[in-house]
Amino acid sequence: MAISLRNLSVDYSLPIGTAHALRDVSLDIQKGEMLGLVGESGSGKSTVAFALMGLLANNARVTSGTATIEGRRFDLTRPNATAPLRGRGMAMIFQDPMLSLNPVFTIGTQLIEVLRRRSPASDRKTRMAQAEDALAKVKLGNPKQRMEQYPHELSGGMRQRVVIAMALLSEPALLIADEPTTALDVTVEAQIMREIIGLRDRIGCAVLLITHSLGLVTEHCDRIAVLYAGERLESGSVRDVQRQPGHPYTRMLFDCEVPIDRERHADAAQNRFTVIAGELPDPRRRPPGCIFNGRCDVSFEDCAKVVPGDYPVAGNAAHAARCLRLVTP
Amino acid sequence: MTDAIAVHDAQLRFGQTVALEGVSVSVPQGTCFGIVGESGSGKTTLMRAMLGLQRLDAGEIRILGTPLQQGRAALTRRARIVQPIFQDPAASLSPRSRIRTLMNEVGTVLKEPHAATHERLLVILKRLGLPDSVIDKYPHEISGGQARRVAIARALLMKPSILIADEPTAGLDVSVQGDLLNLLQDIRRAQNITLVVISHNLAVVRLIAENAVVMRAGKVVEIGEVGALFGAPREAYTKELLAAWPSVTHAASV
Repeated sequence: MAISLRNLSVDYSLPIGTAHALRDVSLDIQKGEMLGLVGESGSGKSTVAFALMGLLANNARVTSGTATIEGRRFDLTRPNATAPLRGRGMAMIFQDPMLSLNPVFTIGTQLIEVLRRRSPASDRKTRMAQAEDALAKVKLGNPKQRMEQYPHELSGGMRQRVVIAMALLSEPALLIADEPTTALDVTVEAQIMREIIGLRDRIGCAVLLITHSLGLVTEHCDRIAVLYAGERLESGSVRDVQRQPGHPYTRMLFDCEVPIDRERHADAAQNRFTVIAGELPDPRRRPPGCIFNGRCDVSFEDCAKVVPGDYPVAGNAAHAARCLRLVTP
Repeated sequence: MTDAIAVHDAQLRFGQTVALEGVSVSVPQGTCFGIVGESGSGKTTLMRAMLGLQRLDAGEIRILGTPLQQGRAALTRRARIVQPIFQDPAASLSPRSRIRTLMNEVGTVLKEPHAATHERLLVILKRLGLPDSVIDKYPHEISGGQARRVAIARALLMKPSILIADEPTAGLDVSVQGDLLNLLQDIRRAQNITLVVISHNLAVVRLIAENAVVMRAGKVVEIGEVGALFGAPREAYTKELLAAWPSVTHAASV
């Protein structure tokens, strides 16, 4: 197992009270595998990434959680627990590439900095060659010229390629990509996903893809974890989860996606979009029973009282969902 | 019947950059028309031109048969016919005024007593699923989804016959975006409004529009009825866009 995250809980203290952003979230990612962590706004998916990277805001507190990365165990409740891994064991791609790039330094300077940190013994000439090579690998044209350019001279897609090149040079065990293509056009999105997969295959790292797009997950990920209001409601292989969602929320989320091949009905009243009625629960007070109970279309009496555990779906130990229906005859 | 919007050979340059080149589209009354394309395709420029917010270098735009004119008086007259719903609802909501003030301004433009505007507003709010209490709030006190509905309510209050929506679901969660799209479809049918939707979401346009245009770098790549456009695209770029779209395949085929 390349990465194993156990029982991550994070609170944010806000003027209106303490919000529980994550409750006992566990994830496993194998080497060379891509896990898609999906969830809507407020699900806590980015908080997972920030907690792993040690980038949580000052008002956040990790109340429980351990991460095992390549055999080393980190207690995430301690400040800067994973600092030794940043830039070496772990790398992150943000939605906005400018969060990773410094506007006042050239692309070359920033790439070389990664190498200097990683292998202090190598000389400048070798590093220059390696940096150029990385830019070529992520299919950025004219790498020699790009090395001399500043981030503002590049387009959004090109900047994201530079960030991927930086990640490539740091050879991480875990690459976290938080909505890496959300700000990009679809044709560029497809190219950037290809580069992320190329990077994974080249260095064999584990990838945590954080996204709201089920389309991206079903096209590119091996496994999926579904987050809702700070809880992991389902996890399994993309194939199993899509075929037989174990949790009603997962099923409803898939139903909300509009397939590109869905044809327009001549009767306009038939062209309806699926909606999940209701709202997220108050993050300060967890309702009793199942967290999704208020919006579920198949809930029954016990759902408002009993907190469900993670139960196997269709007898498959690798596919679990947090729904009482799975253990109710 | 006269087209709701007819754009003929629109030309526009910003310095060296071609914003629109030979763009011609026509939107029949009472239909939904989709404009799709990537960044820099000219889709938002075309929208602004349709609203009279962007002058063309050459070409003509007719709204219900009348050539679009510049100037303040023409803009006010046109506002009663064509209403925009901008991508960022904040563009239609002043941060310093309560929603009520904003809505009253609509009454002023229509030369309607405030009481009458208020009465119509209550009906529209109900239809959009908004509580009456939003009218006493400031824009920062409501959620993003609500702000979008308020922007739609403001547009509808003008009693337009044409609505132009720029990326109406951008930034919304998938569980709530359907709600907004269903709403736009319902309004359009109930009031026989012509709807123009600008979107990068091909799957959504395919479902709600009768006709659509694919744009790239200020030019029309392909235009036609959605069934043909998405089912049997002729142009390589349309095919590329469709292929790149990350879509969930039907569970049955997994």
